[in-house]
Amino acid sequence: MKLQPLFALPATLLPVVFAAADPHAAYTEHLDLHPLPDGHLYAGFNFTATTSHAAYEAQHFRYFPRSLAQILQHTRTAELHLRFAFGRWDDESWGARPRGGRREGGTGAELWAWVDGEEDHPEVLEERWGGLVNSLSGLFCASLNFIDGTRTTRPVLSFEPEGTHKHGNEAQLLHGTLPHEVVCTENLTPFLKLLPCQGKAGISSLLDGHKVFDANWQTMAIDVRPLCNAKGEDCALEIQQTVDMVLDVERSMRPSHDPIPRPLPIEQIECDTSKEYHSDDTCYPQAPSGAPGWSLRKVFGQPINGNCDLESADATPNYPITLHVPADHPVELLSSASLPGKEEKMNLGSTIIHYPLPPHPHTFDISLPPHPQPPEPRNPPLLHATRHLTGHGLDPPILTTTLSNPSLSKNLTLTYLDTLPWFLRPYIHTLRLQRLSRACGDSAELQQLFYTPARDRERGSKIELLLHLPAGCTAQLSYGVEKAVLRYAEYPPDANRGFDVAGGIIKILPDSLLDEQVNNDSKREAASYLRTPPLLLPLPTPDFSMPYNVIILTSTVLALGFGSVFNLVVRRFVLVEEVPAAGLPTRLRDAVRALKLRLSSLGGRSGVEGKAGRVAGGTTVAG
Amino acid sequence: MALSTRLLTIRKSPVLLKLPPYLSALCILVGVAWLFLLPLNDYSRQTYISENAILPGQVHTYFGGSEHNVFRAYRQEVYHLSHQNEADRNAGLERILKEIGLKTAQQPYHYKVAGEDIEGTNVYGLLQGPRADATEAMVLMAAWTNFDGETNWSGVALALTMARYFKRWSIWSKDILVLIPADSTYGSEAWVSAYHSTATEATSTRNVSALPIKAGALQGAVAIDYAVGPWGRRFDKLDIQYDGINGALPNLDLLNTAVSVASGQLGIGCTLHGMVKHKDSYRDRLETLGHGLATQAAGHATGPHSPFMPYHVDAITLKTVGDGWHDEMSLGRATESMFRSINNLLEHLHQSFFFYILLNANRFVSIGNYLPAAMLVAGSFSITALGLWVESGRAVPSKKEVKPASTDEKKKGADLKVVRQGGDVALVPVYEEKVVERKLSVPALVVLGMHLAGIVPLYLLNNTHKDYLPFALLGTMLLTLLLPFALAKTLISQGLTVKEIQITQCLSLLLLGATLSTLATLNFSLAFVISLVCSGLCFVRSRPRSTNSAVNIAVGTITALLHSTTSPPVVIYGLNWYLAKGEGWYDVKWLLYEMAKGWAAQDVYTSFVIWVIWWPAWAISEFVLLSGFVRSVEQA
Repeated sequence: MKLQPLFALPATLLPVVFAAADPHAAYTEHLDLHPLPDGHLYAGFNFTATTSHAAYEAQHFRYFPRSLAQILQHTRTAELHLRFAFGRWDDESWGARPRGGRREGGTGAELWAWVDGEEDHPEVLEERWGGLVNSLSGLFCASLNFIDGTRTTRPVLSFEPEGTHKHGNEAQLLHGTLPHEVVCTENLTPFLKLLPCQGKAGISSLLDGHKVFDANWQTMAIDVRPLCNAKGEDCALEIQQTVDMVLDVERSMRPSHDPIPRPLPIEQIECDTSKEYHSDDTCYPQAPSGAPGWSLRKVFGQPINGNCDLESADATPNYPITLHVPADHPVELLSSASLPGKEEKMNLGSTIIHYPLPPHPHTFDISLPPHPQPPEPRNPPLLHATRHLTGHGLDPPILTTTLSNPSLSKNLTLTYLDTLPWFLRPYIHTLRLQRLSRACGDSAELQQLFYTPARDRERGSKIELLLHLPAGCTAQLSYGVEKAVLRYAEYPPDANRGFDVAGGIIKILPDSLLDEQVNNDSKREAASYLRTPPLLLPLPTPDFSMPYNVIILTSTVLALGFGSVFNLVVRRFVLVEEVPAAGLPTRLRDAVRALKLRLSSLGGRSGVEGKAGRVAGGTTVAG
Repeated sequence: MALSTRLLTIRKSPVLLKLPPYLSALCILVGVAWLFLLPLNDYSRQTYISENAILPGQVHTYFGGSEHNVFRAYRQEVYHLSHQNEADRNAGLERILKEIGLKTAQQPYHYKVAGEDIEGTNVYGLLQGPRADATEAMVLMAAWTNFDGETNWSGVALALTMARYFKRWSIWSKDILVLIPADSTYGSEAWVSAYHSTATEATSTRNVSALPIKAGALQGAVAIDYAVGPWGRRFDKLDIQYDGINGALPNLDLLNTAVSVASGQLGIGCTLHGMVKHKDSYRDRLETLGHGLATQAAGHATGPHSPFMPYHVDAITLKTVGDGWHDEMSLGRATESMFRSINNLLEHLHQSFFFYILLNANRFVSIGNYLPAAMLVAGSFSITALGLWVESGRAVPSKKEVKPASTDEKKKGADLKVVRQGGDVALVPVYEEKVVERKLSVPALVVLGMHLAGIVPLYLLNNTHKDYLPFALLGTMLLTLLLPFALAKTLISQGLTVKEIQITQCLSLLLLGATLSTLATLNFSLAFVISLVCSGLCFVRSRPRSTNSAVNIAVGTITALLHSTTSPPVVIYGLNWYLAKGEGWYDVKWLLYEMAKGWAAQDVYTSFVIWVIWWPAWAISEFVLLSGFVRSVEQA
């Protein structure tokens, strides 16, 4: 293993051979633009690069990022999923999550991977996992290295490998989350560095940190998976890099030199003139309706800077941009050099337009004027879920997850995964599913439970459930938890606002999985995922400056009190007349001492000390 | 050794045995005087912001311009809604919140207190901070009716305008909940208790439905109280209301932030307890302190912010007072700046004081300075109890040996005993050396029983129908007067000794002293007020003054009646007369109903302290007082 980097050098000498021979080396990118209700815009970026397994083994990379590949090779990672996410997807007004929630992570950072290793040798697996999180931490400037044993779990139900893994090669799934990780530009830059065009051309030129991190919801994902044909041969390794975000169009289009949302001049506010009190100084603002106008340049700050077609130009033209608009919505193409888009009529009066990108020196931009009709939301979501930690003070809190199936006909089978930090101990006996609506009937129930109890300071607990939720059913899953008391050194050194608890991960199993007839892997519908926002757990926090105050105060009081009491107890006060006459030896000793004193005072010492000595002598006599 | 022997010798000193009542009196006097020192500059401090993250008044506020037009329109809209029925009104408020872009919900609640129904529906909306991580939230409140029962038109309209304005910002690190409770106390109580409730089912007395929409942990709440209709009225000052349920107070930093934003940034003066003309003189400071003491001791809600405090959510109400030149936009800017400051918080408010007494908006007394006052007064009970304990263990010389009023010379007739210690020899009366065995079972049972009996008035006064509450108090009054007498009569005929009566009083006072000094750390004012009213209990003894039974009965009745003036029912009548809320001193319906509402709906424990701590202590004291007379009458 350690020698592998040494072989990397000769391996790089073989690009010519492999460039011709690698049938899998490919790179595509795709941008999905979808205006949403309430003046929001969904933008989904996807970059996919593949390399053949042989080239990967030989350390020859064309589109596949070398830095990441070497980490994967070194840590023997077969499949990797890394997520950085922030914000909330508002499924009530926006509809279903993009990509079925499969390219989405919980708030903060989330990582799961299949790492080669055997059940019998957990230490090898741990070492590889440790290597993986630490290397990724360095690569993405994130605190992924804090995913240690206490934050790592081994889910059973919630994740399935997306790629095809060779039989006999038992890869182990490990999963870790960091809910408190603040996703920022420093994570986006290394993310863009992995792309062949590095954010300089193609759709990735839109990814500017200022805009990405001003989004209402944004997630960055990296997914690496092996792909093989049905026989398990001819394998390739695919990396998908995904950035999904929802921008507030009005906010994104504010000029960057004055981003403050000052109150608009009254002339620019649409007033409801039908109100009887409407006048010069009274204006009931019209409820926002319709879709705001936008263009790529205004929303993202710049147009798309040419294409990133790395294959030869004579290949079939690709259409990396997809725009969803209502059918009657005019779209203006702002770049002269680009070809017109390919329109595709959908039912329900919406249109999908596919655009090609012009070659490099040209830019690409589209503009949509404001429209009185608001855009339709995406498909209705399969499931609504909210999760809360209730209770206050010293009462043991209760973790409640409300799941509701909005569909009228579709029954859902889902898995629910909760990973709790060790200092939050669940009471499994209190776990129950409460049916809140009549539609639940008796069939809403917990079907399976996988529980790994926590070990203090070593391992968090994991609760994984399989449950059934009939159509129209709203059910509440709840269990009590106990807050542990931390040692003072276990509190993080920064401002303590509480501890973040990662959100629950819900996987909605597709119908095909339940249908036994469809058991073909290739045709299997993928499951969709949903993650609840993280929770804040307030733990009793000591006032860290208090112990020092108390120690200083008590020491002072003790010193004062002890001194005087000791003095009172040890010393006996008697009158001078009561002092018994000293015996001959004492007198002699006193005489010697007086002589010594006189001698030393003659030797240049001050007389004060001599006096003090005499007084001290007096007390000795009395005692 | 030497010290302990010395202490042992002074234990028997007659001077020391006579000391407790004087010491108690001294404690009470010093305790009261202490309170009068607090307004002085040397004993109070200037307020300061302790949490550096807050940065109050450091941001530029942009609320203004066209927002004023919007505000006027919302005020008109709210005014129109106020003429509609409750369901339409709530639907209208919800519609406006929805138009602004908030997620909205309604929460009906229903309390049953003293046979009366309190019900309403809260309307609230959630503004999800675009860049917030959903773990924390702050609350902007405007109750539909304010604490005085006026409709809070401008307050509600301002909250709506602020919500619309806040929606455009992306700087929020915490979600903002805009809450419009139906009324100033029970609405917000229902909302905040449902927010933190672990139960999903509603109970019969407290039918609070669960909240459909929730956010993360609440970090702060600000309520706006501006009860002016579309005609408008400019205000002079902002009255900051801060008292929570059971005397809990918000973190001083929140209050300081409000004061600093209002007066420092916007030039709006701040007042406390509605004292608009506060000249910062000793007298005014003392008056503010008195107001604070009274509201804290009552423990009741003082505004929509009050129910938040028991849940460790710091909250205040900004109420406009006076007639000046500040308009709703200034209030809006103050609110904006406050929310920006709360938004800055990195952790829950914890830096500054939670226990303080305010003297004016920027001067306070910290707990270290004021707590001794209550502790000293509560300590007087413990001192008397210790004195009684020692006294109860001493053998009383028989009347043959020494008369109660005898002087030292006459003592020589008593039996003397030679005591030798080291080389010292002393002659000591025999009874000084005797230790009487203390019989504790009956006194302990009496004290325990009396405290259990306190549940009877507590139950009666909180569960009777509103119209019968005055009768319940009358019943309690009768019980208060008759129970100690009956107890004294029964027990003395059963042969209760003077020593046992002393021990009863000792145990009762010991319990009272311990309870009140503990309570002082939780609710200083309540403990102090109860201690003051109870302070007479230290000086009650069961010593008849005369041998004539007629005189005894007369003196007994008079002293018992005098003693009764400090009994809980009489004090309640007195308070009712002072507050003058009913037709006369006897019409206590309003006061009792308020107390019952506090107990049933808001978990105010003042009633519990009155009936299960103060009332039993008083009744035992009365029992002690009467037992002396009963004994002498029976002996005669």
